[in-house]
Amino acid sequence: MIEKQQIAKAVEYIRKNCRADDFSFSIATSNDHLTRFAQNGITQHISGEKQNIGLAVAFDAKTGSAAINSLEENSLQYLINKAESMAKLNQSDPEFVASEPSHQLPEVDNYSPNTADLPVETMVDDILKCVKNAESKKAKLSGISEKHITSSYLMTRNGFEGIDNSTFFSHSMTMKKDEVETKVSNSVLDHAKFNLEDQINQLNSQFDSLLKPVELPKGRIPVILRPAALLQWMFYLIWTFDRRNTDEGTTPFTDQIGKQFFGKNFTFKSRLDDPDLGAEKFNHEGVPNSNIDWIEQGIIKNMNRDRYYAKKLKKQAARPYNIIIAGGASSEEEMMKMVDKGVIVNRLWYIRPIDFKTGEWTGLTRDGVLYFENGKVKHSVNNFRWNEILHDATKRILAMGPSVQQEYYAKIPTLLIDNFNFVDVTSF
Amino acid sequence: MKYLKLAMDSALSLGADYADIRIQKSRTETIYLRNLSLKNTSLQELYGYGIRVFKNGAWGFAHTNIFTEDAVHKTVKKALAIAQESARVKQGKGLTLAFERGYIDTYKTPFSEDPFAIPLSEKVEMMLEVNKTLLNYEEIKKAVFMLECRKDEKLFASTLGSSLNILTVYIEPMFSATAVAAGDSQTRSFRHGGRSSGWEWIRSLNLTEKAVQIAEEAIIKVNAASLGAEERRDLILDPIHLSLTMHESVGHPTELDRVLGWEADFAGISFATPEKLKTFRYGSEIVNFVADNTLPGGLATAGYDDDGVPNQKWYIVKDGILNEYGNTRATAPFIGLNMSRGCNRATNYYDFPINRIPNLYLEPGREKLSPQELITDTEDGIYIEDQGSFSIDQHRVNFQFGGDMFWEIKKGKKVRPLKKIIYKSNNPEFWNSVDAICDKRFFKTFGVTNCGKGQPGQRGRMTHGGATARFRKIRVGGSQ
Repeated sequence: MIEKQQIAKAVEYIRKNCRADDFSFSIATSNDHLTRFAQNGITQHISGEKQNIGLAVAFDAKTGSAAINSLEENSLQYLINKAESMAKLNQSDPEFVASEPSHQLPEVDNYSPNTADLPVETMVDDILKCVKNAESKKAKLSGISEKHITSSYLMTRNGFEGIDNSTFFSHSMTMKKDEVETKVSNSVLDHAKFNLEDQINQLNSQFDSLLKPVELPKGRIPVILRPAALLQWMFYLIWTFDRRNTDEGTTPFTDQIGKQFFGKNFTFKSRLDDPDLGAEKFNHEGVPNSNIDWIEQGIIKNMNRDRYYAKKLKKQAARPYNIIIAGGASSEEEMMKMVDKGVIVNRLWYIRPIDFKTGEWTGLTRDGVLYFENGKVKHSVNNFRWNEILHDATKRILAMGPSVQQEYYAKIPTLLIDNFNFVDVTSF
Repeated sequence: MKYLKLAMDSALSLGADYADIRIQKSRTETIYLRNLSLKNTSLQELYGYGIRVFKNGAWGFAHTNIFTEDAVHKTVKKALAIAQESARVKQGKGLTLAFERGYIDTYKTPFSEDPFAIPLSEKVEMMLEVNKTLLNYEEIKKAVFMLECRKDEKLFASTLGSSLNILTVYIEPMFSATAVAAGDSQTRSFRHGGRSSGWEWIRSLNLTEKAVQIAEEAIIKVNAASLGAEERRDLILDPIHLSLTMHESVGHPTELDRVLGWEADFAGISFATPEKLKTFRYGSEIVNFVADNTLPGGLATAGYDDDGVPNQKWYIVKDGILNEYGNTRATAPFIGLNMSRGCNRATNYYDFPINRIPNLYLEPGREKLSPQELITDTEDGIYIEDQGSFSIDQHRVNFQFGGDMFWEIKKGKKVRPLKKIIYKSNNPEFWNSVDAICDKRFFKTFGVTNCGKGQPGQRGRMTHGGATARFRKIRVGGSQ
């Protein structure tokens, strides 16, 4: 993490030497350790600290920004010169918004000494344990174990100042033998909350259930979407969940704000006060984050908005800083009894838009699909391609499991969705 | 620079089996314009070095931006310590590195006008003119322009005695127009990808003229019909579109690290396994894919890769048969090769080099043939221009692609525009269905600047190319 004295020295230099009418100055650092393994051996192992020193300036409404990775005084002067010269050469931005003033920032603790002090030897010991488990199943293991310590400081000429320190640890692994491949992943702010045995057990359970796959044809069928799959889907929903684009008529959400557009039991929110989830105190421009509902029981409440568009709407800029999807009480076993037959999907893959206006997306299943009938898993099946209008699919939710922590920034339930549109089988 | 020698001497004295250092300064200028508003005008500079140490069959990599003798020593020691930790978890006896010798050389992207010497005001004026041209049409509600210029200066040294000084530059312009009409919204984009070139390339593109075409086609597209249910029809795919299909269905599956399972947890693996080399029919007999890291203007053309291996040219697919992979010094020995093809590249100084797709193109047809002649020769088909939706499974077999502009072909004529078209196919069906490729007069390249791969994620770059080609009886239809 960056020392307070270093920040103060750099800030003093910028304040003294930056001649712009307005500016935002940022210092972001990350200390990272990443160990990547494949085929039961470590293939890549990285350690180092990165810095990103940014200055965004404005002369009237002419803007420019520059970023470097050094806090030396001559580098800071170079940074000022570059940002200022860009702004001076630029044209006025009709959508310019002045930098943020001072804000009362929320209290959020994203830093864990357990993660920061995690020794490399322990990370490698854990990988070795996972590899031995794979070897006991005559399988090959690939994955990554990583820890990150990050710090993000921002100040503006108009009085904003804030710093966010955070840590996270992440572990992901795929076990493969012949046609069977499956994956588990988890990330936490505090390494003490990471349970390697649970991960290995979950991996083994998924792996064992996938042996001897049987062919299943394409078609619409009920699907139990596990949390990892739903989280991938959410990334793409968030990408297109933009208020300005919506008002300009280029998304499926046009004229639907405040209306029942998603399924009635679909609720999506971001929360600062969830004890397990990471949450930045402020965004990259100094706008404080707050608890926010995006979709409440299917009704669109808020959408992503940048500072310019938020000002136009007389609201505060907002974007999801963590992802909480409200859950229910159904277990997978109960879900399997609610429909005659269906499939259980561990994870989705390669999701891409087909058509932004209709909100139709495509993707595949990955890391294991199970077929169930009469309330019980029968066998594993091939993977599929799916083409779905995602918001329509939420209207077909039949049941929800409890919302569980999937990553350090996300709590997600398992969903039972009727008539999921599998348009092709994936044969290798 | 003294640190090159210092790092290598330090690594050898500490007992490294092999080591290299890459000092890299990367400068990226990004300008993003949306509806006449400059949302981003930024310059980013990253300067530092990464040191790789190979010990007991395993890698360690450490990076820093501190340029002192002490920092160099510490970084070497850290990389060595990490390599020793890595060696505790080895596949068999661990990694071996393919043979290579040392080189003392320089390489510079050929260009006339340094894009960083062109004033920002000139770039912004050009972009605003394009933006205004697009917004002159009432139906165009959103007009964006993204311009990226990047320069990388690298000094590379290895314990093999290499000392390389490499300077590469690329530029990428991209703009789009989104039309809203009749309850729909459709986007048409100008994409030529990136090119290792100077600003003279941008001047040659006549972007304002292109903007008129893009805006008008966006309006045609939003008012166009779609197709009904999927059926098998012929596809005629233009070179920009083909660049994406070959990237996903030929480039990635023939990266040797994927073939070996090194990407199994993330980007996926490959169906194109080593026992298929020299025997597997990847495409029809007229399908030849050339890997060429010496291609002028190519984004992977840099003299040497980040293993210090010289750029080369070879066949990935020859006369339709899987011929070879793109590989690195660490991956090549796994299939018994004693030399690397030089495909190990990193994005920034703090990135560990990984097995990347080389510049890769489909050889033009040997017979004289134009795209118009190909259309005239097609009874029932779809002509697809530029790139759209794309999705492929983790083994790189089954895929679904869209496009940016679509035309229905009936009895040898383009009869109407279409929208929301997707086609599905797989390897090897797709490339085996090629029955005609236009000749070299119609060859075009497309530089990919954002090939996401690796953990932590890196943006790789490489150039693809081809001439318009026909694919027989592919499943194609309208979306929902």
